[in-house]
Amino acid sequence: MPGMDDLTPRLYFAGIDIGSTMSKATIVDAEGKMLAYVVGPTGAQHRLRANKVMEDTLSKAGVPLADIAYIVSTGYGRVNVPFADKQITELTCHAKGVAALFPDVRTAIDIGGQDAKVLKIKNGRLVDFLTNDKCAAGTGRFLEVAAETLGLDLNEMGNISLQTDTPVKINSLCTIFAQQEIISRLSTGEPLPDILAGVYIAIATRVVKLARQLKVEVPVVFTGGVAKNAGMVKAMETVLGVPVLIPEEPLITGSLGAAILARDEAFKLVQRGEYQAHREKKLTEARVDFGEKTK
Amino acid sequence: MSAYYLGIDIGSVGGKAVIIDDSRVIIASIVIPSGNNYATTAASLKEEVLNMAGLKPEDIKAGSSTGTGGRNAAADSYHGVIVCNARGVNLVFPSARTIVDIGGQGSQLIDIDEKGQVINFNISEICATGSARLLQLVARILQVNIEDLGPLSLKSTQPSSFSTSCTVFLETEVITRIAQGDKPEDIVAGIHRSIADKVSALTRGVNIRPEVAVIGGGALDIGLVRSIEEKLKLKVLVPQNPRIIAALGAALIARDRYI
Repeated sequence: MPGMDDLTPRLYFAGIDIGSTMSKATIVDAEGKMLAYVVGPTGAQHRLRANKVMEDTLSKAGVPLADIAYIVSTGYGRVNVPFADKQITELTCHAKGVAALFPDVRTAIDIGGQDAKVLKIKNGRLVDFLTNDKCAAGTGRFLEVAAETLGLDLNEMGNISLQTDTPVKINSLCTIFAQQEIISRLSTGEPLPDILAGVYIAIATRVVKLARQLKVEVPVVFTGGVAKNAGMVKAMETVLGVPVLIPEEPLITGSLGAAILARDEAFKLVQRGEYQAHREKKLTEARVDFGEKTK
Repeated sequence: MSAYYLGIDIGSVGGKAVIIDDSRVIIASIVIPSGNNYATTAASLKEEVLNMAGLKPEDIKAGSSTGTGGRNAAADSYHGVIVCNARGVNLVFPSARTIVDIGGQGSQLIDIDEKGQVINFNISEICATGSARLLQLVARILQVNIEDLGPLSLKSTQPSSFSTSCTVFLETEVITRIAQGDKPEDIVAGIHRSIADKVSALTRGVNIRPEVAVIGGGALDIGLVRSIEEKLKLKVLVPQNPRIIAALGAALIARDRYI
């Protein structure tokens, strides 16, 4: 690695992803190997959450903050991470993280709490993308509304949906009207597993419609909180017609990508001989703030 | 004695019935909730509108139905809601060339000629934001009657701005705006603008030509009507009872078919 000695002993790099629903942090070493990650709810206070999730990840990795050479923040709340050295958009971070886990990936589908993204990746680089952040249909929010309506928890809902191979067709793509439709289907006596399976198919249909605009190529990687749901995965594979690959922790691809980009950024600074100056400037700024708050 | 004609429109929210006579005068009209059994709703609509008109079933020479649930009505013929809206508006406002319909599950834009024939139209996908449904939701959050939203909106001096056009996300954002101290009238006016934006997005492919008539449940909301006028930069016409226009159109078609 070029200029690694300059960083010694700070040979760790962190990525932090403040999403609409969940916050994630990941620490990698100089080879980009993952040391630790932590996932927690975002809540209303982004800054507190950013501190907390970073602190937890550091202690899980057994690395003091002083050993972190560079931090990249990403996600919807990335501006609220005062101790980050740089902000990078979630699309870039996400593509980097997915490609780190699945080097051959061609299509990455991410369904988050309030949005969905489709990324086309070639040779580890983002080549095209489409996002939906305009409409709750086709996002995790649709599932939350369905779960609330039915009084079920999200995992339970997924497992119940697996009991059937005859999903009902949910006609309303709009979340508001789908909620009504779920209630009326229950009242007309349709079995719960069929209704739930229909809900997953409805979301998958919406997202795959987005993906098809970019042409779906295999391998397909499926990430985001929604990828943890067994019912959703089955529906996704049914609608896509191909199997999907899912990371062990599908929530952390953004923060992993951010951590890897943090490493790249730090090496760039080292090569230009600017790292020390950057470090000193940063130390007098927000990182001091972070250190004090988390003491 | 004149002959009478019946039009029934069963939409996603409301069921409507209209009786007209030979000379196309509205004798009676009624609006009831659509309920969950459209055949029953159609039967009660017919019974009640006949009562209002003081007529017997045999006085009706012909009847037509329209709307989402209209096929469940035992009428002589069924017609699409676009065609019925066009006919209905043409009778009430012969000068209207564009119709904006804001219904319970979405909106439509219809371009018509001087005879009430459809030239072109555009229907939104089923979406709560382009429909009266969003108004219902906002009324509930602000704890005001849906009828009061319009007058409230007109008091606004600084309409709230919203970052999303999805009703689900708007619900959260409305609550955030309340927490930030936005006035109820500004929130409602902001929501009216969001709906007007969504409806005007339909204009792609359809010419907006004066005069413009706004119909459907959404037209009952004066604040929304004003926002649409602002967005289209045009004065619009609103019928006295904007919800019964498709049912009126169905009655007119029944009359044409009979005569």
